[in-house]
Amino acid sequence: MTKTVTLPKEDVRTETALGGPWRVVVLNDPVNLMSYVVLVFRKVFGFDDQTARRRMLEVHEQGRSVVWRGLREKAEAYVFTLQQWHLTAVLEPDEAN
Amino acid sequence: MKRIEVKLAVPIVAPLLDVIREQAAGLRDALAGPTGLPDADPDLGESWGGELLEAQRSEIDALLGLFGEEFFREGAVSFDGDNAEVILRACAAVRLRLREHALKTLGDDTLETGELEISRLPRDVNRAFRCYVFLATLQEVIIQHLDESILGG
Repeated sequence: MTKTVTLPKEDVRTETALGGPWRVVVLNDPVNLMSYVVLVFRKVFGFDDQTARRRMLEVHEQGRSVVWRGLREKAEAYVFTLQQWHLTAVLEPDEAN
Repeated sequence: MKRIEVKLAVPIVAPLLDVIREQAAGLRDALAGPTGLPDADPDLGESWGGELLEAQRSEIDALLGLFGEEFFREGAVSFDGDNAEVILRACAAVRLRLREHALKTLGDDTLETGELEISRLPRDVNRAFRCYVFLATLQEVIIQHLDESILGG
């Protein structure tokens, strides 16, 4: 006979947050050059020139662009690298997925 | 390895180096831009910021190192695949700090468009803005000529 176990709510939420999808978002800043942002996107994510330019224009015109989605650990590594390049990058839970 | 040499007018650039040195001092202890993670535990946050700051210090040292005795003798600086990336980042860090400090009065729209009468700016702001533009020019030159070295590195 299996006994019903009630899991603490906080533990369940933590597990979901770490294991679920996250997104790396780059925010606009008035300082970094467009060509610099394109280069960083190509270098960090391996985007081709066209994709990198499209993402850069999203950042410039819409104020933000989601540049990567996936597990938290890798997303953190991308945010770190982007911050090392002095871009404004944040990590958000990917609630759309 | 591809290497480029950029000739600069020492009398024009020398005063801008003072601006870079002033900002560099601030960048030894403070990061140029917003950093961090949501919900990061304090240990991770500390190590995260510490590693970024250490990298930033190396970048700034590399930038200042460009303008040593040789620069004042020859009036030239050189870039190649070994220093292009760190110099690019250092320029970004100094420009971000200029925005937060010496150029705070200009406003983001002005910084983004560059549309202003430089001659009407107060002396300190004038010097800081010329430095801001100078660093952007260095970045453009590096990106134009060494992008493949950076992407391949």
